[in-house]
Amino acid sequence: MKPPVEMMVETYRNSLYATAFSVCKNAQDAEDVVQDTFIQYLSQKKDFESEQHIRAWLLRVAINKAKNKNSTFFRRNSLPLEDYMETLTFESEESSELFETVMKLPEKYRIVIHLFYYEDYSVKEIADILKVTTGNVKVRLSRGRLSLRNTLKEVWEDDES
Amino acid sequence: MTNREKYKQAFSAIHASDHFCLEVNQVEKTMRHHRFKTMVAVIAACVMLVGGATAAYAADVGGIQRTIQLWIHGEQTEATIEFDGKGNYSMDYTDDEGNVKHQSGGGVAFAPDGTEIPVSKEDLMEELTAPDVRYEDDGSVWVYWFDQKIEITDKFDNDVCYVKLVNGEKTLYMTVKYQHGYATSPHKYISAEAFN
Repeated sequence: MKPPVEMMVETYRNSLYATAFSVCKNAQDAEDVVQDTFIQYLSQKKDFESEQHIRAWLLRVAINKAKNKNSTFFRRNSLPLEDYMETLTFESEESSELFETVMKLPEKYRIVIHLFYYEDYSVKEIADILKVTTGNVKVRLSRGRLSLRNTLKEVWEDDES
Repeated sequence: MTNREKYKQAFSAIHASDHFCLEVNQVEKTMRHHRFKTMVAVIAACVMLVGGATAAYAADVGGIQRTIQLWIHGEQTEATIEFDGKGNYSMDYTDDEGNVKHQSGGGVAFAPDGTEIPVSKEDLMEELTAPDVRYEDDGSVWVYWFDQKIEITDKFDNDVCYVKLVNGEKTLYMTVKYQHGYATSPHKYISAEAFN
């Protein structure tokens, strides 16, 4: 199966944008990543097995492209995170604080936290997307949670299972 | 409210640009045009050097870096490639999952008097556009050539398989030895005993 790209854009663009942003922390780079990801989808001859397969593939491509943005020598003159946050409308002070704290996590924790809490993926699924071991995902998840808990105190509950 | 609900609420504040759909449609049109132009060039010359092909000079090694369009595992890919003038190349491209890949290689040819000659840039390009045989983890075997992807898993007889590849006016007769390389000829199938 390979649904039309318009349908994929409608369904996944905000999710891919949030994922890309959580990796590269730059609005314009995240836009580019989403765009490039859909271009990749368009140019693929790949036949997907299911909607879940497409979603995981799109996320993996977006994450890889966002990481490439981070590693490129030529970075944009990016808007500082604090300035970008001022352009956003958060529902509460807690939300703003949570967003900022996540963005301050190291990249490798940030992306695992994002896939777990935003995309609702399991540890096993995250390991498949990032092509790392489940043990590695568990460690990153645990350290990311610990860091969030230490900073956010009562805003972030201890949900370590 | 659970952590998950809090997290989703926090990240609901960010959205992709509203102009996004239009841009994707424009890109699709551009890509179709580009693909058409490229395919014509591919049939004519195997590989197309993108307009103004010379992208940068690496003066310290005497090489020239170029951007080219290559078919890698059935997908058209833009790659930057550098030839060092000594029979070697070094290439970077982005694979179908967005990973930046590095590939390099080279070789020598032998003159009639037995002396070694670095292979030419043209020979290296021919090598890069040659068919590729891949053995996947699930046991399947595939041949890739330009935009073609052919499964040959069940075509082996005594570990040898013969495949005829056609791309435009170019035809290749390919003999594949299971896990032991392959040989091609534009005229006939090469005997399995004649190589490796």
